[in-house]
Amino acid sequence: MRPSFFHHLHPPTIPAKQSRWRYTLGAGGMAVFLLLVLGATGILELFYYIPTPDQAARSIQTISYLVPFGGLVRNIHFWAAQLLLIVSAVHLVRVVFTGSYAPPRRFNYLLGLALFIFAILLDFTGYVLRWDQGIQWALVVGTNLIKTIPLIGNLLYIVLTGGTQPGLPTLIRFYAWHIFGLTLGAVILGVWHIFRVRRDGGIAVPPPPLRVDKERITRKELARREVLAMLMTGAALILFAAFIPAPIAQPISDINVMAGDAKAPWFFLWVQQMLKWGDPFTWGVFVPLIVLAVLALIPYIFPKPADSELGKWFPRSNRSAQIILAVIALLIIVLTIFGSLPAS
Amino acid sequence: MKRLIALGSAILLFAIVAAWWTNSRQPKPIVLIPTLTGKPEYCLTCHSGLREISPSHPIKTFGCVICHGGEALALDKNLAHSTLRGGANPSDLSVVQENCGGSNCHSGTAADNNDHIQRVMKSVQSTYAGAIANILYTFGVEPDLTARFGIHAVTDDVITTTTGVPALQVFDPTKQTNPSVLKFAANCLNCHINAQPLPGSQFDRLTGCAACHTPLPNLGEGQGVRGQIHELTTAIPYTQCNTCHNRGNYDLRTMSFIQRTDQPTTRLQDYYQPIAQFTKCEYTLDCIDCHTRAEAMGDGDIHSSMKDIQYIQCQTCHGTPTQLPQTKTLTNPNDIAFRLAQLNPVVDLKLGDTILVTSKGEPLWNTRVLPDGTYQLVGKATGQVFTFRPVIGSGCTQNGLDQSSAYCHTCHSVQR
Repeated sequence: MRPSFFHHLHPPTIPAKQSRWRYTLGAGGMAVFLLLVLGATGILELFYYIPTPDQAARSIQTISYLVPFGGLVRNIHFWAAQLLLIVSAVHLVRVVFTGSYAPPRRFNYLLGLALFIFAILLDFTGYVLRWDQGIQWALVVGTNLIKTIPLIGNLLYIVLTGGTQPGLPTLIRFYAWHIFGLTLGAVILGVWHIFRVRRDGGIAVPPPPLRVDKERITRKELARREVLAMLMTGAALILFAAFIPAPIAQPISDINVMAGDAKAPWFFLWVQQMLKWGDPFTWGVFVPLIVLAVLALIPYIFPKPADSELGKWFPRSNRSAQIILAVIALLIIVLTIFGSLPAS
Repeated sequence: MKRLIALGSAILLFAIVAAWWTNSRQPKPIVLIPTLTGKPEYCLTCHSGLREISPSHPIKTFGCVICHGGEALALDKNLAHSTLRGGANPSDLSVVQENCGGSNCHSGTAADNNDHIQRVMKSVQSTYAGAIANILYTFGVEPDLTARFGIHAVTDDVITTTTGVPALQVFDPTKQTNPSVLKFAANCLNCHINAQPLPGSQFDRLTGCAACHTPLPNLGEGQGVRGQIHELTTAIPYTQCNTCHNRGNYDLRTMSFIQRTDQPTTRLQDYYQPIAQFTKCEYTLDCIDCHTRAEAMGDGDIHSSMKDIQYIQCQTCHGTPTQLPQTKTLTNPNDIAFRLAQLNPVVDLKLGDTILVTSKGEPLWNTRVLPDGTYQLVGKATGQVFTFRPVIGSGCTQNGLDQSSAYCHTCHSVQR
């Protein structure tokens, strides 16, 4: 069989040891697949979604209940978005725990981190597009957090919401960011990220003299594994979508009258939990930015993993980076669990 | 690897079939586009078995949402019901203006007889002002029997009767100190159409307009039929009135409600309490055959007592030994009598018919003066036809000025 365009996107051969599931976890590839699914389902939703405060929630009801298979498409879009954040996080953890961010891959690590941020922002803007009582609290509290930023907070708030309180301009801006600004950014970053994987020499392995296991697999084999991953991810998405519907709530009657659950979306529950500790700027903006900065600096401030230890889990030479990431991940998980508990 | 891909494909196929299966189990949406709103509603997807609420509210014209609220497009029960106004009962007085009001509906003007909501909000049925005023006066809190407090606050800018009061404040038990008044507040604020009924099937009714206009079949305890009743009617049987009236008495000493203890099985026994005195027409007819809409729903004024609004007497239909009852020949096709007769078509009222009217000129549209000088009344709830004679020409010697029921009951009362 002659290689197809799809095969051409892959290197001719890659190291066998580093292309195993238990090494890559398949997370990066799955993220690409999920982005494609999100694009396809999102385009379908565009035909029915109406981005105005009085129509948005009802147009989602139309999609969910009345458009043939609309509910399934929306549920797939929802579950793909949630899964994207999880596999992106898993991908990040894998890269740090295997020391794969070492030069020359430092810049691509930053691209990946930026992609992760874009995925979170896409998830949050998509969540807000529901414009129902389920998102009201998070929208109001989330945008108000912007105001607490010294000097530029109020200006940023107006830039983000288009007014002095969430309303039609806010929804239009979130819509534009979701379907255009952030999506375009994510596509550019994503293509760049994948290009840099190839440009930086493919998956991280020890340099040839230090390489013990010299076995390689062909791109056809790699493509088969990717197809298998896509089949399983696709099946999981469809099953989730068929049996667990995406959240929906009654339309917002008055943006100034808080109704519905006072809960952030699950990926911001850790921030919500910290907000209970005091100053909103410190805990809601500053600390998350510090976390982001620490993540971004991992390739630059921690010892570079030894060449001989590349391409395997938990190299001894970058223990400090592993420990820092493990602590951050554990704290976020614990805070998320506490944040998800019903308010006492 | 190829086997794995085949297996993966099979799993994906299974997922697609499963999704198809769950999708096919979703109810097939049933759309309704009522002419009044022009917006699609999908309530009938689940509620297709519900009967039309009344001929005056055809579903093709009104749909569901204009009266009930709710999410017209949602096919999930909780979401669809999340924005219902007044739950299953849109006529609860807390939401009635939004649901049943509007100048073309039930909060129009007194001139076009569409001011139902304004009248009911001021009526003693909803303010309970009479009972509150009585108790406050009896226990020395207020100097007289004039109503000052109601279940809800209400004002009246246009007073048309001598007994009308300009405004009521909310009766707030926390501002009371008299122990009997406090007991009254705790035990006795059930007998108005804002209140949930007392427990027991004999008390079972809804609130607001539906307290009267949605008669509940008395099926006994725990039959769970309330939510299924989708009916508004002006043919209200006495049993509906009796979910509040004739159910017992308030004991002023203990300030509690003493329920009647008899277990009536016949209309004669059931209609009034054992101590009551009444005559034949009072239990063979239904309450609304004599008592008018102004008496039941209020005349637009805030009154201090039920007595101020209850004015139908025996003479309204029968006259006195010296006077025939008042009548009116229908010459105006827009006469309210025709509208009322159309709402409850037990009689075929025609232009030129002569009907009885009350002392305030309200038409007793279910009556007719027959050519031989006798009268005919058709039961609004039963459709039964009754004929009766005026007092003139009978052997009655009653003074025409003494017309309260007690005087008539001296001779005309039923033994049970």
